[in-house]
Amino acid sequence: MRTFKAIKVGDGHFEVDLRGWVCPFPKYAVVGLVEKLPARGRLDLLVDCPSAPEDVPRVVEGLGSRVAGVDTLAPGEWRIAVWK
Amino acid sequence: MTTSPLGRRLLEELYRPVFRRAWPVWVGAVALALANLFMFMYARAIGVFPQMSMWGSSLYRLAGIKVDAPFLAYPITPVLRDTHSMICFGIMFGAAISALCAEEFKLRCEDWRSYLAALAGGVLMGFGTVLMPPCNVGGFYSATMSLSLSGPLTVLGLLPGAYVGGLLLKYQTRGALAEFRFEDLPAGAPVVAKGPSRQPYAGLLVALVLAAAAAGYALAGLRQCAGLLLFGALFGTIFQRSRLCFTSAFREIFISRNGAMMKWILLSIAIGTVGMSLLKSKGYLPMSFILPVGVHTVVGAFVFGAGMAIAGGCGIGILWRAAEGYTRAWVAMLAGMLTAGSWVLIYGHHVGEGWLYGAPVSLGQKFGWFWGTVLVLGFLAAFYLFIIWIEAGKHANVQSHQGR
Repeated sequence: MRTFKAIKVGDGHFEVDLRGWVCPFPKYAVVGLVEKLPARGRLDLLVDCPSAPEDVPRVVEGLGSRVAGVDTLAPGEWRIAVWK
Repeated sequence: MTTSPLGRRLLEELYRPVFRRAWPVWVGAVALALANLFMFMYARAIGVFPQMSMWGSSLYRLAGIKVDAPFLAYPITPVLRDTHSMICFGIMFGAAISALCAEEFKLRCEDWRSYLAALAGGVLMGFGTVLMPPCNVGGFYSATMSLSLSGPLTVLGLLPGAYVGGLLLKYQTRGALAEFRFEDLPAGAPVVAKGPSRQPYAGLLVALVLAAAAAGYALAGLRQCAGLLLFGALFGTIFQRSRLCFTSAFREIFISRNGAMMKWILLSIAIGTVGMSLLKSKGYLPMSFILPVGVHTVVGAFVFGAGMAIAGGCGIGILWRAAEGYTRAWVAMLAGMLTAGSWVLIYGHHVGEGWLYGAPVSLGQKFGWFWGTVLVLGFLAAFYLFIIWIEAGKHANVQSHQGR
């Protein structure tokens, strides 16, 4: 089964690399990721699907969490910062 | 870098709103309806898979396998002189220009499992398009607004098909998350953002190539090729900027009980229905996009719906995503065109001929243009209410969970 690349950036701060995962995977995956994220944790999602910067924040807000920002990393790549 | 006052004004008025922000979906839906109506007045309505099927048959011919193109109205023609193919090329041009100008282009490579899924999705779409026929945009969107009985019936197959395909995607996501634990992650350095890119300049260059190609066709006397190439580019821009996605619209109604995208598409069809009915009632192309109807419509739509969800885009979706750099869309496109292109070898007849297909039925000709239009608008309203009912179920579930 295909898996996600991910690292721990700091205390309660993680980065999950979903680049290479076509839409709708990022918006499906963020549901499970936010569930597993420790309370008051920060999750940086790296995505390269142009729909994700619009779709993922909507899903995150529906889960009761917060999107701190969406930054462009490179052409066609974004970082979505999620706080639980 | 300094910018002149005129340059600044152009950036503020044109470039930033068009390319630096995603368009609201409703803007895409209304723009799509209007562009489709104007293109219908010019030549024909939108649809892409029949001409892509012809590309597949042409590839077989190149390999020495004698086969006819599956759709009689789309015979084997050199692709650079084929008016219908110009819509597809235009969509790719428009999407590439938009993606580059918005700095969203990226050569997106995936792992072998994704390419396998794209292959399977492309094959399913290839069979779906000859069974339905044709694809969901031609067979649902354009056919419904053309008052073809087949258009509304495709929903009975596309909805469950996209749902089944969506369940497979959900299963894949759950599998990837099953063993995932934040506590087990190794420490590492975060990815750092890169500096500004030169993609908008590349977009400008591609736009110049498009303009030169259109001018070349016009000067060679192939004005319809030039016109449809430019219409295609308009469609490509609309889809790329608004992310209007038919696959997502069908898939998410049941998967996440979210029908927002489909509700805008229904509005788009309603606008197109009124326009097309007015034109057809005056005798303009009355049988255009009136397609065979029967059990094959629903079965083909189911197969196509599952295929587009697995592949990650319908016929148009894989075209504009291919131009955004999605390599999986290239695989799906090749698989789809080669599968549909072999249909006459498999079935022995063209699409619409033989025991498999029913007769085309125009609601406008059967019930009169006024009542035919009323029937289609009634179907759109019923579908809209159905979506609201499905969405209400989600809210009821959330409330009942919260109440526990």
